[in-house]
Amino acid sequence: MLVVALAIGFGLSWYALNDGRLVGATQVGPWTAWPRAGSPNPDPYTRAYLARNGALQLGQGEGVLFVATTDSDGQALDRRCRYRIDGTTPVATFWTLTPTAPDGSSIARPDGPFEFQSRRVARADDGSLQLYVSKTLAPLNWLEITGDGPFWLSLALYDTTAFTGTATAATTLPSIIREAC
Amino acid sequence: MVRTLLYLAAGVLLGLAIHLVVILILPTLAPNTVTSKLNAVAQVNKTVLLDAVAPGAPNPLRLDPDLIYAACRLDLRTGPGELSGLLPATFWSVSVYDPSGTVIYSTTNRDSSGQSLDLGVFDQGQTRLLAEQKIDVDAGLLIVESQSDDVFVVVRLEPPQPAVRDRYAAQLQKLACHNLAT
Repeated sequence: MLVVALAIGFGLSWYALNDGRLVGATQVGPWTAWPRAGSPNPDPYTRAYLARNGALQLGQGEGVLFVATTDSDGQALDRRCRYRIDGTTPVATFWTLTPTAPDGSSIARPDGPFEFQSRRVARADDGSLQLYVSKTLAPLNWLEITGDGPFWLSLALYDTTAFTGTATAATTLPSIIREAC
Repeated sequence: MVRTLLYLAAGVLLGLAIHLVVILILPTLAPNTVTSKLNAVAQVNKTVLLDAVAPGAPNPLRLDPDLIYAACRLDLRTGPGELSGLLPATFWSVSVYDPSGTVIYSTTNRDSSGQSLDLGVFDQGQTRLLAEQKIDVDAGLLIVESQSDDVFVVVRLEPPQPAVRDRYAAQLQKLACHNLAT
């Protein structure tokens, strides 16, 4: 009985704070956000997530942060591979897309840009994006990363309409496509 | 068989109880909260720039490398707090954090009055005095009520080009962070 209780108790807690889809997080494709993380009255699960995460959260009036740890096929992001981030983003004053190690440190080339910034990327005629993140040269908008091992992509939308009324606003997040390893 | 099922059911119920306890007490037990990290760098009544993100270096607050951050710590026991000044004509946002790291208020320059930031933080007693007009404040002061006397105000500013980053950081550091005279 005790083994079952401990497994369920700690297992559920680990799941709730890592995946969180059933308790407070919202998932759109490979992207996950905790919409209530920046609210004045977060629910207990979001409060626990904030305590465990220790990050300086964006306030609800400032924007929303989406994090991807896998590509659109569910495979963990790996620095050996080249990824194409393809699609459109919700309406926002601007956004940034940052590759980081799981501990939050930057993995971009030291003498290059740390991230993509919406004001400084080339777009297709229809406004869609094609961004590449890889260690090897890629066409169009390319961000060079360094090192080995897993990484995360953080998409910060500043002054955005995502999660403000129409839930469909968040469904326009780009896909993350693994191209080569 | 029935006894085994009863033990399993009891285990499930006890597991759910453990889960709820873990979720509820985690915020009070977590050692590396955002507040403990801000406490290490921010000073009371002083605007402090947070270190820019460096390649490969730890980024415990998970700051956005594109932005410049300034933090102002206020102790409301000695009076209402104020953060004020002029900011560059670019995107900026301001958020107020309580000791648990919860954002109790946030806004952007689009919702505020352009380049001018004038934010006042009041505890419950001071808010009551404000309503009774026993505290004089300037017109246009953005009023935030806090349940706690210890708060952090963080300003995020987006330099439109890397070339202006240092100049904008210097302007951000000039924000006045202090207690209002009552």
